[in-house]
Amino acid sequence: MTTATATPPPTAGKAMRTVHFRIKRCDGPGKPSRWESFNVPIPANSNVISCLQWIAANPTTADGKATTPVVWESSCLEEVCGACTMVINGKVRQSCSCLIDEYAPNDGDTVTLEPMSKFPVIRDLWVDRTRMFAALKRVKAWVPIDGTYSLGAGPMEGPRASETRYKLSECMTCGCCMEACPQYHLQADPAGWETSFIGAAPISQARLFNDHGTGKQLKSERLEALMGPGGINDCGNAQNCVQVCPKEIPLTESIGAIGRAATVEAFRRFFMAK
Amino acid sequence: MSEQQSFMERHHFLLRRLHSLSGIVPIGTFLIVHLTTNASIMWGMANHRAAEYAADPVGRGVATFQHEVNFINNLPFVFLIELFGLWLPIAFHAVLGVMYAVTGSRNTRAYAYGGNKRYMLQRLSGYVGVLFIFYHVATLRWGWTFLVPGGTEWSSQFAASTLAMALRGHADHFSITGLFVSLLYFFGVSLLVYHFANGLWTAAITWGLTVSRAAQQRWGYVCATVGVLLMAAAWSALGGFMFAVNVQKAETVEGVLYQEHHGEMAPDENAPGEPDLIEPQAALSTNRTDG
Ligand code: SF4
Ligand code: SF4
Ligand code: FES
Repeated sequence: MTTATATPPPTAGKAMRTVHFRIKRCDGPGKPSRWESFNVPIPANSNVISCLQWIAANPTTADGKATTPVVWESSCLEEVCGACTMVINGKVRQSCSCLIDEYAPNDGDTVTLEPMSKFPVIRDLWVDRTRMFAALKRVKAWVPIDGTYSLGAGPMEGPRASETRYKLSECMTCGCCMEACPQYHLQADPAGWETSFIGAAPISQARLFNDHGTGKQLKSERLEALMGPGGINDCGNAQNCVQVCPKEIPLTESIGAIGRAATVEAFRRFFMAK
Repeated sequence: MSEQQSFMERHHFLLRRLHSLSGIVPIGTFLIVHLTTNASIMWGMANHRAAEYAADPVGRGVATFQHEVNFINNLPFVFLIELFGLWLPIAFHAVLGVMYAVTGSRNTRAYAYGGNKRYMLQRLSGYVGVLFIFYHVATLRWGWTFLVPGGTEWSSQFAASTLAMALRGHADHFSITGLFVSLLYFFGVSLLVYHFANGLWTAAITWGLTVSRAAQQRWGYVCATVGVLLMAAAWSALGGFMFAVNVQKAETVEGVLYQEHHGEMAPDENAPGEPDLIEPQAALSTNRTDG
């Protein structure tokens, strides 16, 4: 039998504890959501994904009813792809790196899983993150090379710039910063994506490529996109994004840097544009 | 494409930045001046030049405040300054501010970070601030006395005494509605001071003055200091008008200043420097019976 102990996590010698999973489910786009509960036996070092795998293999709810396996998305299982992002106990994070021993150390503890609320649900915990990739296109988050001729070696980059940019390049388009942002809202219709708030990650990506020796050729176009409706000015400086980013990307610094670039660009256009 | 965009969308960037700027200049600057003026009811106690009008410290505060109010009302083009420096910018800032604020959502329960709470409070203080400013201007400026406890009409010539009455609802004590209005002032003014200090902090990010986290923190300390000082000015002013001012004594001091003021403006008066006044000490002991 298991006793409720906060620490240390149960050892192999003891019987496995059971953790109660409350999962917000949805059968498909536009379908209503419902809650289902599952009692999951927890071996040491479990994470949310391993528990979801157990549920997939044993799709029976806590009150004994047979149900469909819970659907989720994941890929790398080491917090670098961002696919498994969901809302766990009310806060957004990656589920693959979410350890049950931390979140539910005791027998009978509950873990609540919900899909991200700012992206349309495809099914259960799986959401459609297309809008984030559309946002990267909106800010032209790439280095322009047409590939028809050799450009030779790229421009030199100093260690300090490279250190700054390396951090920014770690973004995995997971959506945490959008999910937690009070200015970012669900927008299922792609027609609305161009003018609704773009979120912190693409703003930071615009900075990453604006600061690149070759990427800066598109700087003006990136700023153009970010100075319009849904761009940098729609940020309300709540700074939730930087708090929840799993990669600890300095998003608020990127927002300040793009704000500065936009200020300069506005003056440049006023006084110098033809 | 640009034909289909609304005015707000076409001028999105300019309007957003003007909104940010207008909060600092002129509105924030005015707030500093206004609160410093009001606080003269307190710092005026140390104003030795006001000793000419009153022997007691509170009386000196009343005289100093009256002097400040007279100074503002005697500014040239005061109406134009108010219209373009104040009413239009405040209307612009308020209308756009509400339009922008409704695009936000509240998630401070799930994400209870300090920044998120400040974000939420910035919007809340904006909403409350608009309503408070409307009440403040309607009652004290446009003379909507039916909204003033006790029905006092604020007079720029008897500034401290009528203000104390308009806050308390009664000359010597708080009426129920007076208590309510006093609390409204306390929260309204405090929220507006917060709105300004926090807005000063976020504006620096918006314009790109503060980029690094360290710079944002340093500027945060500056803004917090500004906020604390303004809060001190606001609270001391309110405390002065709510608790310190003795309405009858204040009227006496104001009466002296009134005569002096109007005496000077009258065409055939005594030579300057020798105004025809009630002696200050005599003025203080005058037993005014009107209310
Ligand atoms: S910036 Fe951080 S939180 Fe946002 S998408 Fe990238 S990795 Fe995720
Ligand atoms: S700082 Fe801006 S982008 Fe980040 S959470 Fe706040 S509003 Fe969203
Ligand atoms: S599966 Fe890739 S981040 Fe979790």
